[in-house]
Amino acid sequence: MEPAEAELFRLADDEYVLAERYTEWQIFAPTPESDLALANIAQDEFGHARLWYDLLQEEYDYEEPDLLWERDPADFVHSTLVELETPEGDWADTVVRGYLYDVAERLRLEALEDSSYEPIADRVPKVQGEEEYHREHAQSWLDRLTGSPDSHQHVQAAVDRLFPHALTLFAATEHEEAIVEAGVRTRSLSELREDWLDEVVPYLESLGVEIPEPETVVRSDVLGRDGTHTDDWRELHEAFTASYHELGFDEPAELRGDRA
Amino acid sequence: MIWEVFRQEEPGDRHTHCGNVHAPDREMATMFAQVQHGRRMQTNSLWVAPKDEIGEVDADDTEFGGTTDKSYRWAITYNDIDASFAKEVAESEADQEEHAEKRGGT
Repeated sequence: MEPAEAELFRLADDEYVLAERYTEWQIFAPTPESDLALANIAQDEFGHARLWYDLLQEEYDYEEPDLLWERDPADFVHSTLVELETPEGDWADTVVRGYLYDVAERLRLEALEDSSYEPIADRVPKVQGEEEYHREHAQSWLDRLTGSPDSHQHVQAAVDRLFPHALTLFAATEHEEAIVEAGVRTRSLSELREDWLDEVVPYLESLGVEIPEPETVVRSDVLGRDGTHTDDWRELHEAFTASYHELGFDEPAELRGDRA
Repeated sequence: MIWEVFRQEEPGDRHTHCGNVHAPDREMATMFAQVQHGRRMQTNSLWVAPKDEIGEVDADDTEFGGTTDKSYRWAITYNDIDASFAKEVAESEADQEEHAEKRGGT
């Protein structure tokens, strides 16, 4: 697999699966306003996933069913952070997940601004514009949820649960060296991980949230990036491919390209 | 808490009331307003203001102007004058007729 191709799969799968979890809040979010805001964010993430999946089709000759609907769930390379089931009614989980992801996403996109692979670099600014709102949204909620003892506890529990999975955002695969060497991404995953820790740890601590020591919680059993996933993923995959199999779509819509 | 939202389409336009959002404070209100009132319409700027902070006086409280019949001010003795030489005369007449109509006509 080409380095740019491998990076595109990481980008696309992260955005797609995160959006799937976000949409589960539809009509259940705490207020109509927060419901709309999260739906809006989910829609953005689906749009970004679409950009990257379309690029895989244009440049690497995939068909959409190969990328999503008929792809083996063990071939998806998203971080386990985005696939975990949201505990029922736990808004803090979604806020913390969004925050941990959005900071990592901003750093990753910055490292793709000057990608040697032009089709990626071309699409980065559009994605960046929307990601800014996502991060603001997550931080606004975090600032407020940590303001009362009860919701603070929910935030802490979500951090304890999600933090080890967030570290898989930076898990390397056999393609990592080639991706950096070819200049597809201008910073390595370990550099991005350092930058991410330098930002999220002081911020969360400033809100009185305790952060586990990364080295003690890092997981080696499921990395997401290498196709190993939690059981939550299998269920989610079945759920989002169910309609495809029931309805027998054969020509999904495209945003760019000949069939757009 | 309810925040009234006002949208400006282009720089220089007036901010026009376009709806409201529920939010605990100003920052969250601007965040929600962006999605609800700025995402699908051309928008240059949004204002949010706490509903309680907006003062109101309505027609039950007071007599507003604009309801008295002022047709006596019309130059009705100058009938059948061709006003086409002065555009503002025609405009003014059209304007007065429109307001008269709104009042129920005279």
